[in-house]
Amino acid sequence: MDVTFRIRRYNPESTTNPKPHWQEFSLKDVAETDRVLELLHRIKWEQDGTLTLRRSCSHGICGSDAMRINGRNALACKLLIRDVGEKVQIEPILGLRVLKDLVVDMEPFFEHYRSVMPYFINNTPVPADGRERLQTIEDRAKFDNTTNCILCAACTTSCPSFWANGKYVGPAAIVQAHRFIFDSRDQGAEERLDVLADPNGVWRCRTIYNCTPACPRGIEVTRAIGEVKLAIRKGSPEGIINVNDIPQHT
Amino acid sequence: MTSLVITVTETLRYRGALGQWSWMLHRLTGLGVVFFLFLHVIDTSWAVFYPELYVEAIAIYQSPLFTIGEFALVAAVVYHAINGLRITFFDFRPNLWRYQQRAAIAVLLITIIICVPVFILMFSHVIDHYNTNPTALPLLQVIGSQVPFLIGIVVALVAAIFYSVIHGVIAGDTTSKKQNPSGSRIERFWWSYMRISGVMILPLVFGHLAMMHVIQGVFDITAQNSVVVGTNMVNQSGTAVEFVANRWNMFVGGVAIWRLYDFGLLALVVVHGFNGLRYVLTDYTMGSPLLRRAAIYFCLMGAIVLLVLGSAMLFATIDSAAIEMAREATENLHP
Repeated sequence: MDVTFRIRRYNPESTTNPKPHWQEFSLKDVAETDRVLELLHRIKWEQDGTLTLRRSCSHGICGSDAMRINGRNALACKLLIRDVGEKVQIEPILGLRVLKDLVVDMEPFFEHYRSVMPYFINNTPVPADGRERLQTIEDRAKFDNTTNCILCAACTTSCPSFWANGKYVGPAAIVQAHRFIFDSRDQGAEERLDVLADPNGVWRCRTIYNCTPACPRGIEVTRAIGEVKLAIRKGSPEGIINVNDIPQHT
Repeated sequence: MTSLVITVTETLRYRGALGQWSWMLHRLTGLGVVFFLFLHVIDTSWAVFYPELYVEAIAIYQSPLFTIGEFALVAAVVYHAINGLRITFFDFRPNLWRYQQRAAIAVLLITIIICVPVFILMFSHVIDHYNTNPTALPLLQVIGSQVPFLIGIVVALVAAIFYSVIHGVIAGDTTSKKQNPSGSRIERFWWSYMRISGVMILPLVFGHLAMMHVIQGVFDITAQNSVVVGTNMVNQSGTAVEFVANRWNMFVGGVAIWRLYDFGLLALVVVHGFNGLRYVLTDYTMGSPLLRRAAIYFCLMGAIVLLVLGSAMLFATIDSAAIEMAREATENLHP
């Protein structure tokens, strides 16, 4: 099978073409089970060594290779050619400054991530037996889904509110906050809800739902944001999530 | 501004789910309705304060350009109302998000199902009108009469930027203070207000549309010797001013029910509409403290002007002299 890639190129240091532009590449002998990332590798290795992209594990775990593929955010390592067709259009994710080709400056994204205090907060003494703090299966299930986040930024950069306003904390940071706010062992919920109640916090979400299908990890992103909104409205995460409403993952 | 351009062009390019298009439509219909609300409240206040101008305003509403606009307005209100219910429902039941795509399709279908019979009834009013009375104001006059509104908007924008500059000089440009608990309580309040007021507005606005656009059309406002919708009174002079007077002087159990109704609708819609406008404008101006403040001042001014003017007209009386002035103005309009 022959496949055409149309890639958004940008190299500010180029002497010939320092402006963003499209470039096409043709690839022969492509199998429909080839992953988009492998074909980007083939372009880089066989045709144009200057093509710049991030990737690390290549197996949908590290979250390095989020990009806009055929108009929609995804991980290049998780999409097969049979998912995307014979014409593939690749762009960097939107809303973060492009450094070169498909590489964007992730620092503003991580700054939002850090702002929600994405770590376990509990200042009470450890249990007498010195072992782990226990919680019920039901309490664990409340935030199970949001533990899946790999910080790839696919959700945040699919959000029109984030495109319009880079100060908006964004879906990914809210997902990370959700993971701790609804953890019965954590005691930092009040502080996190305060951070997210800021005018650039959860209220910038207009319930557009672009983030949910963008997530390569199956996180119910808009749901998580909605639950945080309701917790802020109530002043506490208690009683927001009904365990019976959580689908059973197998 | 660049963020607005990027957001618009990229929203058109991004292949988001249906929710993205619902959101765009929700914003566009909201903006359209707020713009008409601005014209409409000011126009209607003339029934009390400048009867001759009100006669001309209603004649403009009866012109072909505004008839087209009226159909668009009704469709926009219906879509915005039904989609608002969808947003509100999924905001309070986030765990049911899997149904939002189907709900977005249902919103479109319900909008069409409501609009088809409504448009047929509205169109029958249009046909009745042109069968009996084919005169209409010239297009240039219709457009020319809107120029003062546009000038008003431009003046308000300039004033908003002026206030914003003064505000910046006095208070400094430090908008992004870390942690602003009072600011957060305000946004939480507005989030709830938009949803609760939306649900409260829905029956009021549908009742208003039914009375003024479907049961009786805008052409019936000036029909002589016809019973005014929602009342047992007859519009003897056939002027738009008497139509308004008859409605507002309709008492049930000592209460001027239509004044009360219109006041409830006015207060809820103006605050909902201008806070919505603030959402839209501030979404795209967060990069500039000056423009962000100007956007807030602009919305605040708009809401205050409409609330003050609207309340003034709803608490004022329309006397027989006003109806007489309107009668003369009507005769001059169609000699």
